[in-house]
Amino acid sequence: MSRPTVRAMGLAVLVLAALALPLGVTLPYFQHLVILALIWVVLSQGQNLIQGFTGYVSIAQAGFMGIGAYSSTLLSVKLGWPVWLTMAAAPGVTAVLAVLAGYPSLRVKGHYFAIVTLAYNMVIFIVLMTWSSLTGGEAGISNVPRPPDIAIGVLVWDLDSRVGYYYLALAAAALATLLCALILHSRVGRVLVAIRQNEALIEAAGVHSWRYKLLAFVVSAGLAGLAGALYAHFIGFLNPDAFGVDHSLNAILAVILGGSGTLSGPVVGAFAVVFLPEYLRVAENYRLVIYGFILVTATIFMPRGLVPLVASGLRALAARLKREPA
Amino acid sequence: MIIEILQQMLNGLAIGSVYTVIALGLTVVFGILGIAHFAHGSVAMSGGYLTYLFGERLAIGFFPAMALAMLVGAVIGLLIERLAYRPVRDAPHINAFIIALGLTMMVEGINLLTFGADQVVIQTPYRGVFNVGGVAVAELRLLVILTACTLIGVVALLISRTKTGKSIRAVAQNRPAAVLMGVNVNRVSAIVFSVSSALGAAAGALVGALLAIAPGVGEGLAVKGFAVLILGGLGSIPGAIVGGLVLGVSESLAAGFISSAYKDVIAFMVMIVVLLFRPEGLLGKR
Amino acid sequence: MNKLARSIAAAGAALACLGAAAADKELLIGVNDSLTGPGAVYGLPQANSVQMAADEINAAGGIKAGGDVYKLRVIANDDKANPTEATNSVRKLIDRDGVKYLLGFCCSGPTSAVASFIERENALMLVGNAAERAITAKGIPNLFRTRPPADFTGAAAGTFVGKRGAKNVAVIGSLDVGFYTQYLEAFEREFAKAGGKIVAKETFGLKDRDMTPQLTKVRALNPDALLVLGYVEPSAFVYRQATELGMKIPRYGFTSGSEEQFLRVATSEQMEGVWDLRPTELTVEALADNAKTYVANYTKRFGTPPSPSSPYAYDQVYVLKQAVERAGSAEDPKKVTAEVRKVTVPKEAVMKYLPVGGTMFDVNGQAYTSNGAFQWQRGKWVYVSDLPSDPALYSEFLRGLRK
Repeated sequence: MSRPTVRAMGLAVLVLAALALPLGVTLPYFQHLVILALIWVVLSQGQNLIQGFTGYVSIAQAGFMGIGAYSSTLLSVKLGWPVWLTMAAAPGVTAVLAVLAGYPSLRVKGHYFAIVTLAYNMVIFIVLMTWSSLTGGEAGISNVPRPPDIAIGVLVWDLDSRVGYYYLALAAAALATLLCALILHSRVGRVLVAIRQNEALIEAAGVHSWRYKLLAFVVSAGLAGLAGALYAHFIGFLNPDAFGVDHSLNAILAVILGGSGTLSGPVVGAFAVVFLPEYLRVAENYRLVIYGFILVTATIFMPRGLVPLVASGLRALAARLKREPA
Repeated sequence: MIIEILQQMLNGLAIGSVYTVIALGLTVVFGILGIAHFAHGSVAMSGGYLTYLFGERLAIGFFPAMALAMLVGAVIGLLIERLAYRPVRDAPHINAFIIALGLTMMVEGINLLTFGADQVVIQTPYRGVFNVGGVAVAELRLLVILTACTLIGVVALLISRTKTGKSIRAVAQNRPAAVLMGVNVNRVSAIVFSVSSALGAAAGALVGALLAIAPGVGEGLAVKGFAVLILGGLGSIPGAIVGGLVLGVSESLAAGFISSAYKDVIAFMVMIVVLLFRPEGLLGKR
Repeated sequence: MNKLARSIAAAGAALACLGAAAADKELLIGVNDSLTGPGAVYGLPQANSVQMAADEINAAGGIKAGGDVYKLRVIANDDKANPTEATNSVRKLIDRDGVKYLLGFCCSGPTSAVASFIERENALMLVGNAAERAITAKGIPNLFRTRPPADFTGAAAGTFVGKRGAKNVAVIGSLDVGFYTQYLEAFEREFAKAGGKIVAKETFGLKDRDMTPQLTKVRALNPDALLVLGYVEPSAFVYRQATELGMKIPRYGFTSGSEEQFLRVATSEQMEGVWDLRPTELTVEALADNAKTYVANYTKRFGTPPSPSSPYAYDQVYVLKQAVERAGSAEDPKKVTAEVRKVTVPKEAVMKYLPVGGTMFDVNGQAYTSNGAFQWQRGKWVYVSDLPSDPALYSEFLRGLRK
């Protein structure tokens, strides 16, 4: 069988499995985790865009998620806008902020950039905590509404239920992955990868790398904003704790673990980052050390991440199998 | 009014000098090895916790405890360099940065396991307060400033006057050439990291005496350290000195005269403004 | 887990075994408190005292109600002073562990989050140190609180400071937090009646450590006194830094912190003369023999003296005991809740409660203790005087807040 056919079949199986998941996974606890993982897929795809493709590590992803979460929440709770509208507006608000943030920080290279994005995350966190008249501070905002049900003829998409929300999160994750796929295979994507490989070279060739970097940064922030809105309306209670620097580090971990610069990597990474803490609950105190250790060893020994590692392993296996029947 | 301004400035100088020591540890590693060693803040915290432990368990004074912690810090620096950064020395820079993040998590996690989650305040016997024309000068704050000056002076001398210092400067200016001239890059790398971590440990001790050591404080210190680097110019020692003091004093003045709630935001605003208008820093080279 | 938490767990497990062996019924108590983080100064002692009370009751034969004997088992959860964690923790206690009786609740943020949904649950919630007025102002039928709201004490404090001759007071506190603002409002109202004025209101965060900018600003205004409204740790830094800035004016606070908690940050000399204007909590001079026994037992068991506000949780257990005994069974929380409304102050209670209308809890589910002025003298909190307050009047005011 040819590779593209195998790939298409694999994708079809995946899609079917994803659509049928709620039939197999019925425990509310696991459904809850899967929905969170899908929200994290959106976030990780964004992170992958700026980190994996473009090679610029941003430590602000959780901060942008917070912007999206609070925008959608405040617009729906305080101004009474319909939730579908606020969820659509959230990535927009985040993107605008990202343009303002990206402007000064993308003029500088790697290290500077990372530190500045870290500063952005800290500023966002401090403002969310301190401006309590707007955000409720540490005490947060309760009763964040779910989107209203959608009725198509006799079928009702009930978004108050966990299964209903699962499909929303699934759609968002699929969209995010598709968007990144489109970017990757376009001219923009090629420029971004070139920036990662040798920025000086393409600058010398006359490309304004700055504009492409800004685009990647803004799209990645927009995805984070979408993830934030999905998160807020899912959990129903919003406070700044989910948007601290440590969660940005989780996003970086997700991309590294899954595979920088691939499209399936962030999916694997997102699920890993959401499910690992639940399984490591026993060793809660050791979690930070384990995460850090994984990050360090993964970067030293498998810098391209799990997915490429597994993929190349499978390819080697397939090649070996092909050689057998002479 | 004048007294109030002077008092705020003096308060700011104490914390500013701690920022300078942190920034110094960061700038030697960055300037010489090109690594943004983000885990430096957590190493500083380890130094603070160790100073507390040595002071309590061995019943020695603050400065002996700090010296001991600096020694341990130097060893930690050696380990970090050898095990975590050396393997990726020739890989893309982004890898070193991600390792820095991983190290931060590991050191924070180890600190949490070893020393617990409660805050630690290092009590010192220096509790006198002098009144100088209406401005209260706390003995402890004065000692912090003096200690920082001493440490900075020693490191500056080390780099400018000794043979080791010459090798270090050679690697900073042109690594391939330095290698050709027979400089042992591994050795230089190891020394730079030990010195940096020893400084970090000292900074941690000073923070513990002035305020407290607790989970999360290290991260904030590291970020402020980098803010100082950006302000003063990456790789510049005079820049780190000036930058640290300027940051400390600005924070204090801003908190006193504008708003105390957003005090920490000042450092970041400063960083962003500098990047917009003078990305090489106040004392960096264009 | 730290040593104290481990010893609670071990003791609890041991007693659970004892209880099971005797073929008695089990009364499960869920403690939701801040065992780590900034609220741990309040939460951990509360959790410890609940465990201690449960062990005492079990050792004395358990709770005898309607022919059954109940042995108490305590499950303690850490909400890390975080509303989301608290909600998850209580959900787990109710859904997975089958707990019907929730005790503890030291901190207002997490407690308010739980209070927002507890009415729908088949459970009884007894709140301790959390001081936010709204918790009992809403009139939730299955929620009771042993600690009086912050503004009940604030008013009494305002009168006291006025009487001591201060005319200009500078305030520095975590003024973003609801109950500190409530304390301040009541304080300012009563203080104004004595001719006093607040000349400054500076803020700091719950986790801040460096308040020298705010203090420097305040010092320049030359106030007669300083009022500090924050958790124990930041307040300790404020007291220390005030002396480092050469400030010699009287310092008033509202922390309920123990000597040991303060001495971790400041020295006794730096604390000398500081006031704590708070409910008349644990001080042996102010309270009766119960208090002395409590302090001795707690210190022996946990190796450190109890915090002044920890008895709020200790007393909760004895309130529960009395209510279960009256109801004749622990199976139906609704019946037990109905009895809690009618309990009188248990004889084992450590705090000095002022019953309103004959019962310990008023119509809002709120209990009242007297308020006192405590001063740090040579390394110890010394009870100096009572702060007169009127619980019946306050109770009516609280009832009136319900919309």
